[in-house]
Amino acid sequence: MVKVILDNITKRFDDFAALKGVTLEITDKEFMALLGPSGSGKSTLLYTIAGIYRPTSGRIYFDDRDVTDVPPKDRNVGLVFQNWALYPHMKVFDNIAFPLELRKFPKEEIAKKVKEVAEMLRIETLLNRYPWQLSGGQQQRVAIARALVKEPDVLLLDEPLSNLDALLRLEVRAELKRLQKELGITAVYVTHDQAEALAMADRIAVIKEGEILQVGDPDEVYYKPKYRFVGGFLGSPPMNFLDAEVQDPYLDVYGNRILIPIQYRELVKKLGVRKVILGFRPHDAEVVRGVAEGLVGTVYSFEPLGREQIVTVSVNGASLKVFAPEGEHFTFGEQVTVKLREDRIILFDKKTEKALEFLEE
Amino acid sequence: MRKEKLRDLSFFLSPMVLMVLLFYLVPLIMTIYISMTRMKNWNVERYLTEFVGIYNYERLFYMFQHDPTFKAVIMTTIVFVGITLMINVFGGLSLALATFFINERAASSYRLLWLLPRMSPIAVYSLVWYYFFHGSEIGTLNSILMSLGLISEPIPWGQVTPWGAWSVIIFVNGLVGVSFGMIVFTSALNQIPKELVIAARVDGASSWQISKRILIPMMKWHLLYVLTWQFLSLLTTYPHLFLLVEWDLVNRDYGTTLALYVFNTAFGRGEQDQGLAAAAAVVLSIIGVIGGFVTLKVLQFEKMMKKPRGDF
Repeated sequence: MVKVILDNITKRFDDFAALKGVTLEITDKEFMALLGPSGSGKSTLLYTIAGIYRPTSGRIYFDDRDVTDVPPKDRNVGLVFQNWALYPHMKVFDNIAFPLELRKFPKEEIAKKVKEVAEMLRIETLLNRYPWQLSGGQQQRVAIARALVKEPDVLLLDEPLSNLDALLRLEVRAELKRLQKELGITAVYVTHDQAEALAMADRIAVIKEGEILQVGDPDEVYYKPKYRFVGGFLGSPPMNFLDAEVQDPYLDVYGNRILIPIQYRELVKKLGVRKVILGFRPHDAEVVRGVAEGLVGTVYSFEPLGREQIVTVSVNGASLKVFAPEGEHFTFGEQVTVKLREDRIILFDKKTEKALEFLEE
Repeated sequence: MRKEKLRDLSFFLSPMVLMVLLFYLVPLIMTIYISMTRMKNWNVERYLTEFVGIYNYERLFYMFQHDPTFKAVIMTTIVFVGITLMINVFGGLSLALATFFINERAASSYRLLWLLPRMSPIAVYSLVWYYFFHGSEIGTLNSILMSLGLISEPIPWGQVTPWGAWSVIIFVNGLVGVSFGMIVFTSALNQIPKELVIAARVDGASSWQISKRILIPMMKWHLLYVLTWQFLSLLTTYPHLFLLVEWDLVNRDYGTTLALYVFNTAFGRGEQDQGLAAAAAVVLSIIGVIGGFVTLKVLQFEKMMKKPRGDF
């Protein structure tokens, strides 16, 4: 159980900079998600923590211990892979026992520890089978058991749920979150699935092109995105973005005039920005019939999802998605107005795509 | 349906069946037949019809018991095939594993270096080692050792029997064969997902432990293949040996394996005895078949066979 500190980590592969000055502190017992699209460098960062990659520059600390030059075997980390990476020629028992055998534990102790961890993950009946005789979910449990059996200081998970089917993923998600808290183990979880990150993590670090854009708890990252990219990457469907022009005290949004949200009035004046991007989440607006105060447009499409429906509205050529309650019936091309929830609106600077409140940072 | 299947089968199999018939089965039958005649000096008209039954085999057996030269040939074959096979397989394996753990660019140039013996013409390659092991002071090895003051007189390495001669032929052939195993094992290693190696590293395994516990067990089939293949090719190879013996670099008795003996007896200088050579060739083939079969059985080759992919 340690605190992990990444201090200005860069990693270059030949000419390609995979990580560009990553600084991050993961506190003891924390569940940290590294969230980003593929190729963003999140797995590279995880492997750097594991010691598979040596950073080109920067230091890594586990508590006060500088582990930058420590080989993986002496870091005491557990690693779980997307494809689980079970040793195909070993039975489940031997897979789990492997890290302990390498540490020269006595036989009885190995058997005891393997049994314990297998019971914890409910795979004690599978110990005598080969990996190929197991289902995806079972293989995944074995992989987690192998990572946990050596009682690691840090548990590193590289998209461990991506190869499971959707239903099983939801189930394991809840279980894994519970397990991490029960064991009180520091965990770093790499994923490209924003829902997974929001659901499981204590904090989320959003990574893009080798840089951390924002670190915060799920609410913070979801409701207060620092960058347009963060707002667009989290949420399903993601945030809506519309170009807008400041005409104090109004915003001109595709021919519609709305008041500048109250929390931004002074900031807009102070910064003197003219071109902004208006962002809001699909559930922070409502669709009303006919012409009213708000963004007037026509219904492009609608998708009932059971409990609610997603309505796609076309506003003078711009497209936005808004949740509407079930039971309300729309028709294609119908004229509607999208009314925004003022306090949830985020304004981004058009040029830097950074939220106005962070612009001066 | 059945008829169609038969037609397809014969269409696809016929080229191979023809090849096997023409270039394998017919020569085999001819060899077996010649081994039962008194065929000599290619005098086909006179001897081809002179059937003598198993006389040539009896001669071989008698020589095996009483002829020191033939005994040397048998010993040489056993030692040569056994040790060279081990060098080929384990040398190839070690090289593949060693280059697996180093930087890819360095690894491929290193591997290329080991391919050189395979790429150079047999005569050129053998000539290099001819000068290296030459028994006079012009031999590279001798001149090095002499200038270092380790020996005062040049040593005729290949004429020191039996181990001097054996060492030279094993060394020269071993170097050629290593590259084959190396290439097969390298491609096998590249098929192993890198996550397994990373997982083992994180689990605390050293490169040696990763090789022993993860990589080698996963290359079992490749190991079997290289072992069988190299066994059969070493049993039948003779070009390098022929040159080394012909140039008098190595002792004739302890530089001649059964394969070279067959060649020399049938086509060599002096009296040629095709009947005897054919009998020895048949014995060699039987050893090969048995040896190949045993390795396949011991290593459970049939487990490697896959069901066809789909029914059509």
